[in-house]
Amino acid sequence: MDSTIKLTVSHAPFWHNGSGISQKSYNILLACLLAVIPGIYRYGYPALGAVTLSIGSAVLWEFLMNLATRRPVSIGDGNAAVIGMLLAMMLPAVVPWWVVVIGSFIAVVIGKQIYGGIGGNPFNPVAVAMAILMLSWKNFLDFNTALVGYGFAFNPVDPLVLAKSFGPAAVKDFKLGDLLMGRQVGGIGSSFGLGLIIGGIYLMIRGFIRWEIVLSFLVGIFASALCFYLYNPNVYASPGFHLLTGYSLIGAFLLATEDSSSPVHFLPMIIYGCLGGMLTVLIRNIGSHVDGVVFAVLIINILNPLLDKIRPKALGKVAHHA
Amino acid sequence: MAKTVTQEFVKGLWAEIPPFRLVLGLCPTLAVTKTVEDGIGMGVATGFVLVCSNLLISMLRNVIPSKVRIACYIIVVATFVTVVELLMQAFTYPLYLSLGIFIPLIVVNCIVLGRAEAFASKNKILPSIADGLGIGIGYTLSLAALGAVREVFGSGTFLGNPVFGPSFQPFTFMVQAPGAFVCLGLMLCLMNLAGKK
Amino acid sequence: MRELAKMVIVLTVLSSLSGGLLAMLREKTQDRIEQQVLEFVKGPAIRKILAGAANDPIADRFTLADGEAKRSFFVGKYDGKPDVVAFETFAGGYGGDVGLIVAVAVDTDQIVGVGVTTHNETPGVGAAVETDVGFIRQFTGLDIASGPKVTKDGGSINAISGATITSRAVCAAVGKAGDLYKRLKPEILKQLKTFSG
Repeated sequence: MDSTIKLTVSHAPFWHNGSGISQKSYNILLACLLAVIPGIYRYGYPALGAVTLSIGSAVLWEFLMNLATRRPVSIGDGNAAVIGMLLAMMLPAVVPWWVVVIGSFIAVVIGKQIYGGIGGNPFNPVAVAMAILMLSWKNFLDFNTALVGYGFAFNPVDPLVLAKSFGPAAVKDFKLGDLLMGRQVGGIGSSFGLGLIIGGIYLMIRGFIRWEIVLSFLVGIFASALCFYLYNPNVYASPGFHLLTGYSLIGAFLLATEDSSSPVHFLPMIIYGCLGGMLTVLIRNIGSHVDGVVFAVLIINILNPLLDKIRPKALGKVAHHA
Repeated sequence: MAKTVTQEFVKGLWAEIPPFRLVLGLCPTLAVTKTVEDGIGMGVATGFVLVCSNLLISMLRNVIPSKVRIACYIIVVATFVTVVELLMQAFTYPLYLSLGIFIPLIVVNCIVLGRAEAFASKNKILPSIADGLGIGIGYTLSLAALGAVREVFGSGTFLGNPVFGPSFQPFTFMVQAPGAFVCLGLMLCLMNLAGKK
Repeated sequence: MRELAKMVIVLTVLSSLSGGLLAMLREKTQDRIEQQVLEFVKGPAIRKILAGAANDPIADRFTLADGEAKRSFFVGKYDGKPDVVAFETFAGGYGGDVGLIVAVAVDTDQIVGVGVTTHNETPGVGAAVETDVGFIRQFTGLDIASGPKVTKDGGSINAISGATITSRAVCAAVGKAGDLYKRLKPEILKQLKTFSG
């Protein structure tokens, strides 16, 4: 790298442009609403209850943890609310209330506060909570059994389960457009793809989430699913199907991009995202779990410190000793 | 240095309690604490080996040439581990089945060899026994505590008896391997919190 | 030179002492361990199948040579007559061998019951052989030599859902039991006579 980069730093005082953690949080919440409101419209009051309970309990846990650790109360920055919102978006609407409360406890306390609060967590708190919930109470988080009471106008079976158990022929009735418009069972805020995409693009334009991670995550899913699809289209579902089902979109836009557990430089971000997408498809197509996004996000979170070693050279010269 | 026998015993119960303070012997700590019973069984087995090997090594400390001391320690430890294994097979077969490979693995448990090298080889017989007993009981208590937390939340039972009503949904994560890590981490955190005051 | 000699002597003496102790202990515990293995590994299945027997089938057993291998047979007495014999066979399942106890009534050559002893099948899928009473009961009353098959292979046994391989293994084990029974029947009858009275 040559020294064409010029850094212009003026003297103090500096002007704060007004953005901060709280502004970021509220923008993310706003973007999430685009996906959550259609979800509430589809799943009714239980979904509304789950979302409010999740946000409320997450904020409460944050407050209690602030008290217990004798630190300044940090619920104002809105991060706890974002965690609660994201958690609720991934849950089925009729999940029992105590699962929501335990989930938000795991996310806020074990996922974040144990490590010293915002910015210190090595893993995405929501992914930690979802992984633990999925391992513990599979039957409550299974969309097929949880949402059996609804009369949907579309096939009420989780498309990923169908594809995994019966091959792609079973899911040929799912048109990509339908999947995009959320005509599939799924989490409260993770099944309406269009809302997630619009919200995600808004956040990318405002710079709250990094486009490099989102794009490489989606490319990772698409490319590896395409490899499987070309290898044997009778066994493996099409790449577009993988992009629009399960937690793919919410994972790419909102889980993988969490600040403290993702890399900061260009190349590391690309590697991080691509690996996440690839792992997702590998777990879905080869592994035993139906959806691999949560586990893929956790695994790339572990890699984050390693990836951050790839960084630009420091400015200035290093004296060469003989 | 002039610690009394009692002090040597007591230190194993809190100040040097193995998995939490010394952070030693983690493999069985994580692997066989699914239930209280397994935890206690593992702790008692390790404690027995610890006391016996400490006793013998302390007795032989002037005889064993320093160049081959590790080999000698291993022989002593392995002998007692095999004794424990045979006895367990003969008398507590179900426990032997649930502990499985982790009984023979006591040979390479760093607590046992660590106490032999760091304590028994330099001290008289009585303090060595006290040290082994203290560490052994401390280890048993820690494994039982970890086992209790994991069993109560993970299976809803304590020593096999259900503690919650029939509507309890077990927190299966706790009895899986990652649950052991998270649980141990949280307990370490609480121990440090308690020790800070 | 003296140091070297000392090292060799100490190590030799230690090893031989340890070896001697272990050999002695092994000698002492061998019978008990064998008893325990029978009791806890095969015992539950045998007792379940021979629930109505008047005697203790684990205690009343004999071994026969079958070529190279030795096989244990467990005797069940009904109405004072030792006319049921149970023995174990193995067949490859999804995750290794599935062990199966097959109990046969010697006068009719009918299967009295079967029960799984050891298996390494997938929990929640193939592992259901242990608990799926409906599946196991299908074998009761069949002729031992009939060589049952699952419906997929053109037989009459309904496989456990999702666990065809495990179900096949159980059928194969029953088939092997039939072969074994046919081979050894004269000797079995001879041995059984010693238990009557």
